[in-house]
Amino acid sequence: MARLTCVGIDWATAMISLRTLPTPAPGSPDLRTAGRLLWWLARQQAGILTLGVLWGIVWMGAQAAVPYALGAGIDAVTAEQPRAAAGWALAVLALGVGQAVAGILRHRMAVTNWIAAASRVQQLVARHAVALGADLTAQVATGEVVAVSSNDVERIGGAFDVSARFAGAVVSFLAVTAVLLNASPELGLVVVVGIPVTALAVGPLVRPLERRESDQRARFGEATELAADTVAGLRVLRGIGGEELFLDRFRAVSDEVRRASVRTARVRSLLDALQVALPGAFVVTVTWLGARLALAGEITPGELVAFYGYTAFLVLPLRTITEAAHKWTRARVAARHVLDLLTVQRTLDDRTTGADELPDGDLADAATGFVAPAGRLTALVCADTDEASRLVARLGRYVPGAVTLGGVPLDAVTTAAVRRTVVVQDKDPVLFAGTVADSLAVPGSGRVPASAALTAADADEIVEGLADGLATELPERARSLSGGQRQRLALARSLVVDPPVLVLDEPTSAVDAHTEARIGERLAQLRAGRTTVLVTTSPLLLERADVVALLDDGRVVASGTHRGLLRSQPRYRATVVREEDS
Amino acid sequence: MRPPEPPEALVGGPTQLPVAAPATVRRQVRALLARHRRPFAALVAFNSVAAVAALVGPQVLGRVVQQVSDGTATVAGVDRLALWFAVALVVQTVFTRSARMRAAVLGEWILADLREDFVTRSVSLPLGVVERAGTGDLVTRATTDVDRLAWAVRQAVPEMAVAAVTAVFVGGALVLTSPVLALAWLVAVPPILLSSRWYFRRAPQAYAAELTAYSQVNSALAETVDGGRTVEAYRLGEQRIPLTDRRIRRWISWERYTMSLRTVWFPSVEAAYVLPIATVLALGGALYARGTVTLTEVTAAVLYTQMLVEPVDLLLMWFDELQTGQAALARLLGVHEVPAPEVDEGAEPTSRAIRARDVRFAYREGRDVLHGVDLDVEPGSRVAVVGPSGAGKSTLGRLLAGIHGPRTGSVSMGDVALSTLPAETVRRHVALVTQEHHVFVGTLRDNLLLARPGADDVELATALQAVDADGWVAALEHGLDTRVGAGALRLTPGQAQQVALARLVLADPHTLVLDEATSLLDPRAARHLERSLAAVLAGRTVVAVAHRLHTAHDADVVAVVEGGRVTEYGSHDELVSAGGAYAALWRSWRDDGDNGQDGDDRAVNDGGTADVEPETQ
Repeated sequence: MARLTCVGIDWATAMISLRTLPTPAPGSPDLRTAGRLLWWLARQQAGILTLGVLWGIVWMGAQAAVPYALGAGIDAVTAEQPRAAAGWALAVLALGVGQAVAGILRHRMAVTNWIAAASRVQQLVARHAVALGADLTAQVATGEVVAVSSNDVERIGGAFDVSARFAGAVVSFLAVTAVLLNASPELGLVVVVGIPVTALAVGPLVRPLERRESDQRARFGEATELAADTVAGLRVLRGIGGEELFLDRFRAVSDEVRRASVRTARVRSLLDALQVALPGAFVVTVTWLGARLALAGEITPGELVAFYGYTAFLVLPLRTITEAAHKWTRARVAARHVLDLLTVQRTLDDRTTGADELPDGDLADAATGFVAPAGRLTALVCADTDEASRLVARLGRYVPGAVTLGGVPLDAVTTAAVRRTVVVQDKDPVLFAGTVADSLAVPGSGRVPASAALTAADADEIVEGLADGLATELPERARSLSGGQRQRLALARSLVVDPPVLVLDEPTSAVDAHTEARIGERLAQLRAGRTTVLVTTSPLLLERADVVALLDDGRVVASGTHRGLLRSQPRYRATVVREEDS
Repeated sequence: MRPPEPPEALVGGPTQLPVAAPATVRRQVRALLARHRRPFAALVAFNSVAAVAALVGPQVLGRVVQQVSDGTATVAGVDRLALWFAVALVVQTVFTRSARMRAAVLGEWILADLREDFVTRSVSLPLGVVERAGTGDLVTRATTDVDRLAWAVRQAVPEMAVAAVTAVFVGGALVLTSPVLALAWLVAVPPILLSSRWYFRRAPQAYAAELTAYSQVNSALAETVDGGRTVEAYRLGEQRIPLTDRRIRRWISWERYTMSLRTVWFPSVEAAYVLPIATVLALGGALYARGTVTLTEVTAAVLYTQMLVEPVDLLLMWFDELQTGQAALARLLGVHEVPAPEVDEGAEPTSRAIRARDVRFAYREGRDVLHGVDLDVEPGSRVAVVGPSGAGKSTLGRLLAGIHGPRTGSVSMGDVALSTLPAETVRRHVALVTQEHHVFVGTLRDNLLLARPGADDVELATALQAVDADGWVAALEHGLDTRVGAGALRLTPGQAQQVALARLVLADPHTLVLDEATSLLDPRAARHLERSLAAVLAGRTVVAVAHRLHTAHDADVVAVVEGGRVTEYGSHDELVSAGGAYAALWRSWRDDGDNGQDGDDRAVNDGGTADVEPETQ
């Protein structure tokens, strides 16, 4: 398609179709203010927005014209002209069909606009999340991100969805008002003044209603949470007791929900009644005045019917306009949340310049004096597990530190080079939803096949036990597996990567002694000749290590073999051998 | 358009809790309405009055048109008609208000009944059922389904009830006004029925798939964020972004499909609505010219026909929602269909000794996890169950605690099979604490009291002391009254385990099954806790499932479970000297650490470290 650029918008690209979504590149948004972000989004889909507005106008225009045709038809009936009446009946039919066709086209555009905006924001959030990586988790709670990607995205979509109807509402409102003013200035004035007044009249009720609704929602949320909590802890309740205690609590909360809901209903039913009464009063007034005008011969009976129809119709555009105002306000708030998320900056000191490679050699941390000799399996023992984890974070350059590999400071090379060379499996490695095979399909050296890694992590029996073996679908965080099984799969994944330097932080803490012993043996074989750091206090792993370093109070205070340290270091014994002292 | 590829099934545990059959749901709904018969009847009556009052307008207009064109109209007459219109409006308003209010009050009673019934039923489910089905399904029912049902009862049911009543009255008024003209609706029936049937055959599954596909977009993102560090460490960003885009594409393909369904249905129905209006107008014109109908009738009929569109449309639009509500209700009522276990209410164990004889057990048919286990647990003894993961240790623990009954063989306390005792009886004698710890939302005190309602602060303090938790609890600003659990103070996994153990101390059964009950504490704290717990539990029978060997070392008897069988059985010393698998494991675990047992703690605590000489290789 030829490029058609006007007012800075490439209209060919802005004419989005669901077929082409998601867009290959969501672009770089204007992140200065929430309003600008929405405006930027609107420009990306200006084509379909414009089209939606056009169909919206046709759609509501057709609806507005129906009373006119009906009125004219009634006049034809009154005049005993069945042919003319049939003609107007055809006109009504044509308007109806036109409205149906324009309606569905408008609807399709509205949905497309909704999805185009929502999916683009989702793509932007996903890309930013990946870019922030380890940092995002530290800065923003997962729940917040999910709230943005569901609630806020929907609200932004909603603003684009309502736009077409809004345009139709404004145009048809103006058109109908003009027709009324033209037919009878008196009636026209009643409509022009009356409709906004009735719209404003319910205003004072809206705030108390919203307050009660939010109170009701909060209480309902509380009851839901309590019910969920009770059934989630059902094992405890059934095993230890306390069911009655919880039931009483739940009944009390549930009753409060009921009361709060009835309080809401009191206001809501009043509002519902007013929505009958106010437009109704209006219709009564117009009918009454119109009847008098008809009596005076100023308008025809058919016009009276048309006026009746117009006033009933005008409620719709008015409601749409209020809805649009409401949705746009919410979209602005939502856009601000998105903005906040998209402007989270990475705090890690990232390097994109400098050498893109690290040499082989010893991995050394200056702060503690820890050294992992090249090509060896080094175990790190520390009574304080947090202290060990801090060292691990430095070794992977997740926090700044004076760490060198083969004499080159990690700070001097690009982050990408560090990630390629040093892989850190932290204490809580996350397994993603997908098949077991998927979870092992990580970028790696290609030298360690998945089967070898599974065997080394003693995880092949887990895979055998699964219904579909490697093709078994695992849920989020592989929750269907036990803690020990998850650890073994995560270890297998790290082994598939086969990096020059692998740092494992307590990789077998949830694994039984039998299995741990097997893993210790096979891990040492598989990693032979590669640099491996293993944080553990388990003797079954320690005896496989080439070197064991004891970290205490921020320094490596001893290093040697497991057996040697057991003999010479009481402190070491105390940490690794958990025995009852009498 | 053909439906797109279905979204990947949401993976979770197999749902084993039943869903109520449609007939049961209908019966329950009837029973509910019968229980609230009077308010329901009043509700219908109020709605009817409001609907009838709404019919006055077209009649008034019709008369005005008639009188004006007849030339019989007078100002006073017109004013009187307008007054009638106004009075009708007042009646309609008052009765609408009252009907809406009654609908809400009734709906809220019904909702409260249903959710309380669900929770009541849930907390009396047999523990074995809960263990097998997992709590995930129950939690979904307690949250999503209750939510959906509430939405249906608050929105769909009243809207549909009002729409149905209105449709009946407007339709009735139309027929009364002019039976001939009312026939015009017949032309609208076939297109509405045919297109709606076509649509509703496809729509529910399509929308369910669309929702699933949409929630998968969010879950992919949530995982990316949740595992941010893993994503970065394993350089998975290049996989996660395409994954999100793929999920978005899948979701949009379902959106396109549902849109194509609506593209057929919406215009068909909307065009069908204008057919009767046009027909009434054309027919009315012809009949009036012949003098068969009056002008009042034509005008009123046109307006009634137009008025009928809205309730019919509402009925169709809410039909979907009502189905969703019905599905949710079926799942909530499903807990009624869990068969009650066959228990002997009055039975009591005749002794404290637990005996397992030739026990076989399977979670899934044909896949035995235990293959003929014999085990005697003497009163007051400490038994350690060790072995590789997946060997059946935890399963054996659950059977010993009476949570599951064996497939064949028996687990009995004295002469009474544990599986024939009601849960309330079993737990007075034996309790299980697992790795899985649940901290209930509420105060710390609430969390403890459930084990012994009415316990005083001294008892609670003693229990906390027994599990080494007195320190951190005392350090809390509000002590026992601190709010804990989701949304309040989050206890660490270790603290949660301590709370679970404190409950056990309070419940005070004579036999305890501890399945990795201290695994989430750091090693040193675990050792200390076990020691203080042992002091409190003196004289109790303790079965400890453990993967750390020190637990076995301290036990009176060690049972090694491998491949669903007890392969070694005896005291620690016996097993070590027997030289089997246990002995080999013990040696490698302990290495030569048997020397120099004294002084461990001193070495940790003495603080001076600088003088330790690093060993060099």
